[in-house]
Amino acid sequence: MAHQQQGTSNISYREVNDDVIKSMTETGRGFYLVLAVCIVGLALTFGLPWAYQIYVGQGVTGLQSPEYWGLYLTNFVFWIGISHSGTLLSAILFITQTPWRRSIYRSAEAMTFFSVVTAATMVFIHMGRPWNFYWPFPYPNQREMWTNFQSPLMFDVFAIGTYSTSSFLFLYFGSIPDLAAVRDRVTGWRKRFYGALALGWRGTDREWHLLQKAYTFCAVFIIPLAVSVHSIVSWDFASSKIPGLNKTIFAPYFVIGAIYSGTAGIITLMVILRRALKFEKYITKVHFDKLGMLLVVMSLLWTYVNVTEVFTGWYANTSYENEALKYRMFTTPSAYLFWLMIACNAFFPLLYIFRKIRLSIVASLLISIGINLGMWIERFLIIETSLPRKFLPFMWRDYHPSWVEWSITAGSFIFFTSLFVLFVKFWPSFSIYEIKEDIGIPMERKGR
Amino acid sequence: MLNRRDFLKLVGVGGAGAAAGFALGELTKTPPAKLIPYLIPPEDVIPGIANWYASACMQCSAGCGILVRVMEGRAKKIEGNPLHPINKGGLCARGQAGLQLLYNPDRIKNPLKRNGKRGKGEFEEITWEEGLSILTNNLMELRSHGEADRLYLLTSLIRGHLNFLLADFMKAYGSPNYLQYDLFQYENLRFANKIIVGQYTIPHYDIANTNFLLSFGADFVTTWISPVNYNYGYGQMRQGEGRNVRGKLVQIEPRLSLTGANADEWVPVRPGTEGVLALGIAYIILEGGYYRGGDAKLWKDALKKYNPEAVASTTEVSEDRIKQLGKEFATTKPSLAIGGETVSSYENGVSNLVAINLLNHLSGNIGKTGGVIPNPDVIKKSFNPIATIAKDASRRKIKTLILHNANPVFTTPETLKLKDALKDIPFIASLSSLHDETTALADLILPSHTYFEDWGDDFAEPTVGYSVATIMQPAVSPLFNTKGAGDVFISLAKTLGGNLQKDITWEDFGVFLRDSWKKIYERHKGDIKEANFEDFWNDLLARGGWWDAVPKASKPVRVAASEVSAHLSSEPAKFEGNDKEYPFYLILYPHLSYKDGRGANLPWLQELPDPMTSVVWGTWIEMNSKAATGMGIKEGDMLLVESPFGKITAPVYFYPGQRPDTISIPLGQGHTSYGRYADGRGANPIELLPAKTDPKTGAIPLNSTRIKITRVNAPKSFVKMEGVAKELGRNIVQTITPEEFKKMGKEA
Amino acid sequence: MAGFIELMLERFKVYREPGYYKRFDYWWAMVIDLDRCTGCGACVTACQAENNTPVVGEEECGKGRNLSWIRIERYIEGEYPNVKVKFIPVLCPQCDRAPCEVACPVYATYHNQDGLNVQVYNRCVGTFTCATYCPYDVRRFNWFTYNKKNFLKGNGGSSTSFEPPLDQQLNPDVSVREMGVMEKCTFCIQRIRAAKDRAKDENRPIRDGEIQPACVQTCPTKALTFGDLNNPKSRIAQLAGLSTAGDLHYLRESGSKISDISSNPRTYRLLEDLNAAPTIFYLKRVMKNGSSTAGHE
Repeated sequence: MAHQQQGTSNISYREVNDDVIKSMTETGRGFYLVLAVCIVGLALTFGLPWAYQIYVGQGVTGLQSPEYWGLYLTNFVFWIGISHSGTLLSAILFITQTPWRRSIYRSAEAMTFFSVVTAATMVFIHMGRPWNFYWPFPYPNQREMWTNFQSPLMFDVFAIGTYSTSSFLFLYFGSIPDLAAVRDRVTGWRKRFYGALALGWRGTDREWHLLQKAYTFCAVFIIPLAVSVHSIVSWDFASSKIPGLNKTIFAPYFVIGAIYSGTAGIITLMVILRRALKFEKYITKVHFDKLGMLLVVMSLLWTYVNVTEVFTGWYANTSYENEALKYRMFTTPSAYLFWLMIACNAFFPLLYIFRKIRLSIVASLLISIGINLGMWIERFLIIETSLPRKFLPFMWRDYHPSWVEWSITAGSFIFFTSLFVLFVKFWPSFSIYEIKEDIGIPMERKGR
Repeated sequence: MLNRRDFLKLVGVGGAGAAAGFALGELTKTPPAKLIPYLIPPEDVIPGIANWYASACMQCSAGCGILVRVMEGRAKKIEGNPLHPINKGGLCARGQAGLQLLYNPDRIKNPLKRNGKRGKGEFEEITWEEGLSILTNNLMELRSHGEADRLYLLTSLIRGHLNFLLADFMKAYGSPNYLQYDLFQYENLRFANKIIVGQYTIPHYDIANTNFLLSFGADFVTTWISPVNYNYGYGQMRQGEGRNVRGKLVQIEPRLSLTGANADEWVPVRPGTEGVLALGIAYIILEGGYYRGGDAKLWKDALKKYNPEAVASTTEVSEDRIKQLGKEFATTKPSLAIGGETVSSYENGVSNLVAINLLNHLSGNIGKTGGVIPNPDVIKKSFNPIATIAKDASRRKIKTLILHNANPVFTTPETLKLKDALKDIPFIASLSSLHDETTALADLILPSHTYFEDWGDDFAEPTVGYSVATIMQPAVSPLFNTKGAGDVFISLAKTLGGNLQKDITWEDFGVFLRDSWKKIYERHKGDIKEANFEDFWNDLLARGGWWDAVPKASKPVRVAASEVSAHLSSEPAKFEGNDKEYPFYLILYPHLSYKDGRGANLPWLQELPDPMTSVVWGTWIEMNSKAATGMGIKEGDMLLVESPFGKITAPVYFYPGQRPDTISIPLGQGHTSYGRYADGRGANPIELLPAKTDPKTGAIPLNSTRIKITRVNAPKSFVKMEGVAKELGRNIVQTITPEEFKKMGKEA
Repeated sequence: MAGFIELMLERFKVYREPGYYKRFDYWWAMVIDLDRCTGCGACVTACQAENNTPVVGEEECGKGRNLSWIRIERYIEGEYPNVKVKFIPVLCPQCDRAPCEVACPVYATYHNQDGLNVQVYNRCVGTFTCATYCPYDVRRFNWFTYNKKNFLKGNGGSSTSFEPPLDQQLNPDVSVREMGVMEKCTFCIQRIRAAKDRAKDENRPIRDGEIQPACVQTCPTKALTFGDLNNPKSRIAQLAGLSTAGDLHYLRESGSKISDISSNPRTYRLLEDLNAAPTIFYLKRVMKNGSSTAGHE
């Protein structure tokens, strides 16, 4: 039985509503504390350094010739990667009608949307003249200036634009019945707020029918989209001529890496949500078990792609590739990073082969954080070990990020967290109606 | 609906607001400080249209001609004068950076009077009237005490009519002490030329047409004598049109200079033995019977001790190599041997240069195209040894010293005690346009124009085989409250009266210059042929100079073996300090962009990476990494360099083009009072030198001491632009071998 | 059918190369004779004087942020006493198939009708992509507002890059770039424009040798030559050995190696195998044992 597997069968409909709505309406001191920490942290690590950077110039970063791309782009790729699993996983699991999807997909989708937003801020921070951020958008203007559609960055603008729009819609469509449920239970400004968001949902058959159609469409649409988005992000790098970046394998490499890091991100998030919102009964060990299995597969795939990349580069035996590889693995100022990445992404996740580890919350947390650390390092290494070893050795130069970059990197995590904190407060973070589907129709059940 | 009344109200309010805003804007607006009056524009100013003024470059003593691009009264760019026979349109980095001298923020903007203790750098601004009267009174007093000969005038190298004016002034005033000083004044070379070429001038080295250039430490593509001309010659020698043979360059020096880097072969000779090596080559020439003169026997006798075995053991150059060099030098025609600054800067510099020049004599290169072409004689100036000034000053012989652009305090070793000696002079006036270490000691500063603001001219030495005069005209009006040095002396002469007034009658230097050029015009020689002086003068200003492109037939010089051998020494140059305690030879060389230090105040030059090390904004120590093994030294570490006479601290750069027993340091940095861009930057290695000068020529031997190094913990200041200097098989700088190149010529 | 395919291929070229022109009005190019070049650095300072590139100071130089548009690269092979030193001036080679042009999302860099790869400072938003894609590392970035930044701070002094009155030297024909903008060698486009204007006034084409960028003008050894590659009689076409190659545009269209086309065996292009089609032609230096070993650092 599906619901037996879920371990959610002993919950009543009312309980579900209560739990979710309680998490939204009853605000404890803890929440305010977390929010305050987030806001202050955001201002200190993110806002002020960025303001400083805009005022003084990109020179406050550690960027230099030829490493014109630094931590900001690392973070950009990282967050795009994180964004990958949420929606993609949710869509795939929806289409395959996987039952354990239901209690995790809402927050996973939110994670997607927020990490895309975080990634987008990284692009603007990375710009030399961020006040002209809108210039890459093809808006009509009297100067008849158009954007360069040949540019991989332009592909990015569209890919990310489309991706964030569709993942938001996917999130939103799935939430409409829940928003209506919340609307029905709250008073005051909340009623008006959720009333507006629920778009007048009344729960008629027709509405359910249409919702299902729209939702299915989104799910189908998002799967190829998600693949394309990270492929396009990889083309930012792969369509250059730079040794270490110009690789045909980059698109699948990035997609696999993205799903890998995204899945790990979901596990981390689940552990935290479970503890913070006391949702142990919705997010059960079953979820960890299933996602753990997925991670083992992704880890093996990741290892395969990495070995391919290194091997073909080494086998090609050109001075360019050799130097880029050697620099990545041995001679960069922080050469241990490469080996740390291998350990985090290729070896530790293999522990998930054991069911015991899969079911252990602590082990899951550690391994998933390790994977994301490793994936961040991977992006860092891709950029920062290729650009310092371009074609002319006379220009080779090591990259040392400045405090501004580190601070904004930390700030991006706080930014993401802040968005999530607000999300759990203002949005039903679990799908009320789908968990109810899981529980089954009360009449059929005995004892209640 | 908006009714008519409301509409009008709103219009009224809007209009009033706009008017108020406009008024407010107008009130708070800062009026533009400078506008070009278009109604009656100044002469030559058309906005957006550039004027080009031909002038002379004064960044070093090469005597290149320049064109200054002036827009709206401001100098924008310097370019080489394509008509000029010395630089032929080219210009070096130092020449390009001249504009930063004109627009240097550290220029002295007003006459200054010392205010506070001497050397503290405290000055107060005064007017020109005050300044001139202080100097006039001082000079009057001196003369009235009958101590006119105790006035000393020390200038940088001045060769044009300003030199004549100053000489006239000093003569009329009654002082014989008009001195010129430059760290690189090539007196050793002139002295050596007197012996072999027969003239006390620097000849024209025809690098462009030579087929084999044997360069003994002559870094002629960076700083040596006339780098732009030699660079042009180098280009022609390698790939000149109409040449069927590519000239070969062999560089003999302990430290691979930029010229050495461009050479086909580098001979890392033991420091101080270049002269011996030259004689060894001479021996081969004589032995091989390549010498055509009748006195071959005499020469053989004179040089018999320079047999290859002996020379090889002294110079650490293999016998085979010496033989091969000798043979190649003698058989390739035309060939040319030049001795540069490295060789000249040993304590036996003259004998080295004589030995090198002898090679030209023995293989018959003198007076030949592609060899040594004698130059017209120049007026001999008194290049007095700087040591005499130190001596005279410390003996309190100098009462008043007038300085003009000379900075001997920076370019003489501390051991000469020049600075202390200058402090004993009762009155020092400086005509410098920028603060420098010597001007810092002055009591009175009367800032002079830079070469963009002044009249002048320059008679280049060496020229290219015929007379070349370059005219200097004011390209821009004076930026600050400064006066030309010539004008200062003319007005001094007027107020001092007496002989001075009689001899110096011109109203200003420009008039003097024009009058003087009449004499050149009246000779009716040279390339400018005009019917009257007015046209001649205009042509002169338009072309930027006058030259008489008729090479003089050189008269053969009798070089007697007995006379010459008196100047030769079989001994290697001496280095101070014993080799146990001080294991390294020290080679100092002029920096490409600062030369002796004069360019260090120009930010463009500070930021120009040194071609060999790519270091910017500082001093460095060049050392072979082989010598550093076992000392725990990493590149960029700060080293304390000690000689028996002084010490400096600078970062180390590992340089494979360096003998392991030798350490090189570039000159030019380590200023203490030379403007914001130079001060407190790097170290001045001249401080390591002994108090030695050449007794015959007064030259300061830069390569005359041994040193030791120790690693010290000091704040690092080492910035180099290179990443990795290896090509890694990437075929970045592609080459073909000389053999392939030769074949190419045949096919074509 | 064949016609259609040809048409599509032609269209495809335009898609691949944002700056694709069938034929340039002029095709500005440079020949650098490495056998003449001594590495003296005069061109570097001349460029700085002409193009208003700021001085950035010691600290920024240490970060590789100097703004010289032309640099002398120096490679040393071998150990004492068999040291081979080679120099190469590297400046923007105005690639025909420029990687940077594809990279820019806002068309701040594009190919103009003279075969130049031009940078529109006003349009640049500073994504750094062009500089990252550039295989020659010739693109320079304005990290700061240099006329406000004190670059002597570390040394205890005070000076901005255009400290008055040094600012009076600034060339009015060239803009001073704003913070956050990429810049690079323009082949002294201001001089090209001026010469074009002059030629137009006099109703004639530009003469060979009429335009000399600052670096070419100042070179003491005359290692650099500038001219129009469209004109097979021009000096650079002669020097590069491209005068007899018939239609020079074959070079563009075919993408062949220059050694297959040029009649001068010394002609080569830097990193030619990357197929960026640079229009600076280097003439090989003549030296013994000059080729580098493929060994690793």
